[in-house]
Amino acid sequence: MRRWSRSFGLLLKWNLLRVRTELPMFAAVQTLIAAGIVLGFSLIIPSIDAEAALYLTTGAMTISLITVGMVVAPQIVAHRKAQGLLDYQRSMPVPRLAMLAADAVVWIVAALPGLVVVLGVAALRFDLAFAMSPLLVPAIVLVSAGAAAIGYGIAYAAKPALVGLYTNLVLIVALMFSPVNYPADRLPDWAAAVHAWLPFQYMAQAIRETIDVPAGGIPVLPFVVLAGWAAVGLAVTSRVMTRRV
Amino acid sequence: MSAQPAVLEVDDVVKVYRGGMRANDGISLEVAAGEVFGMLGHNGAGKTTLLNQVVGIARPTSGRIHIEGHDAVADPEMARQVCSMQPQAQAPLEGVAPAEAIELMARIRGASRARARRRTAELVEGLDIGAWATTKGERLSGGVQRLTAFAMAVAEPGRLVMLDEPTNDVDPVRRRLLWAQVRELAQAGCAVVLVTHNVLEAERAVDRLVILDEGRVIAHGSPAQLRGEHAGQLRVEAETVSPEVARDVARGAVGGRPATVAGRRVIVSIPVEDSAGALAWAAREQQEGRIESFSFAPVSLEDIYVRLVGPDPDTEEVDDAPVEP
Repeated sequence: MRRWSRSFGLLLKWNLLRVRTELPMFAAVQTLIAAGIVLGFSLIIPSIDAEAALYLTTGAMTISLITVGMVVAPQIVAHRKAQGLLDYQRSMPVPRLAMLAADAVVWIVAALPGLVVVLGVAALRFDLAFAMSPLLVPAIVLVSAGAAAIGYGIAYAAKPALVGLYTNLVLIVALMFSPVNYPADRLPDWAAAVHAWLPFQYMAQAIRETIDVPAGGIPVLPFVVLAGWAAVGLAVTSRVMTRRV
Repeated sequence: MSAQPAVLEVDDVVKVYRGGMRANDGISLEVAAGEVFGMLGHNGAGKTTLLNQVVGIARPTSGRIHIEGHDAVADPEMARQVCSMQPQAQAPLEGVAPAEAIELMARIRGASRARARRRTAELVEGLDIGAWATTKGERLSGGVQRLTAFAMAVAEPGRLVMLDEPTNDVDPVRRRLLWAQVRELAQAGCAVVLVTHNVLEAERAVDRLVILDEGRVIAHGSPAQLRGEHAGQLRVEAETVSPEVARDVARGAVGGRPATVAGRRVIVSIPVEDSAGALAWAAREQQEGRIESFSFAPVSLEDIYVRLVGPDPDTEEVDDAPVEP
């Protein structure tokens, strides 16, 4: 465990050095996109009630974390694969998952200011008041970890040329065709049934219901499903990373 | 040298990739502490494949690999910790300066902060890359990137150090500095495995070597042992005025000995005792204006290498061809 945390710390330092110039720009763009989703959708839908506003706000936060974990992180892996850097990393004396965690943490942390700004923008634009739970913190951790684990799993398993295609697909599905920005009952039955197995709606639910806790309390199901998806993603990634050709 | 216990033992390793490509075909070798061990061969001879199996990136189809007596095939994590490797691929230096990367890698390999700093300073000075020590990776030349990757591998070396083509793109002056560092590693007790296809360099840098061809060891020993029967031979190299003249000169070279033509160059091996006759022949050809210059030298490892495996298609001139007298 000591070796794990030492490796993680040093790799994290390495990553921070590597992206020190891009990081502020990344955080700024990520914030603009997240705030843009809230403001943009409120233009598309002129009369927004409190429920729709809550969905839009928390949906924008969820999309932001999904973008980082399932779009940005896999694209970076694909880029490294194409440059042949993966073999270099594989020869390094560090636990493979420490390497992944050090990678993901940088981008997730850079997405956090955006989440705060979204809440502020939404509170101003929609006059929302939230009944926030401290469980929001583990929810954000779990959503990020799940998204990054799945994103890495596919990035390591897929050919680099296909990763760009896949990340576009994920983004469109998450943004438009998932019960993230709107309730699941607006979807056709078959699509809602598919989403019962996919992670997107649980990600949205975990964020939404810890930001504004429903009357019945915070349900456990989203956390369980997300933990399951994170475990699958990590298992695939770990398998691909440690596989010997 | 062989009295030292082996740090790396490779025993009858066979590696067949999916698709049937036989990259290693029964390789056995041992590398002792304090030894610089060369692995020579063309691209595709199986050198990098063997290294990848030692550090657990690839798994042998059969055979055994032990590092300091421990089974490296069963425990690749152990192998990666005991062995510092400079892979052939460039290091991930984007956004990171050499001094930062060397220090971080030393710490990842277990050095204390103070030791990592000290080693970084030593290597930056020893390899003469101080001018770029704080320049970010993407602005460095290929040679400086390679030197940085070398320093990253050896800043906190394991008992086994494996260097895959460490001098690619590196200028001649800094190559020598790099060899000096390699020698220091061996003197400090590391077992150093050096993969290269630059035979001239290997001859000066290694204590023992193997030559690999198509996944098999086709020769092994010290450079002097490999020169063996050729030790009493001289290599006569003549620069002629044109390729056509070269072919003609080759036919009558030193009393009709077999000669090799490479462009305008004619190369003949002769026994040392025939050197007077050869000198007279070369001087006569020069007087007649067919040879511009000539030299006599001991038969080199490169000559032996080319004789064993043929010219390297990647580096040698294509028209190297023996000419019958």
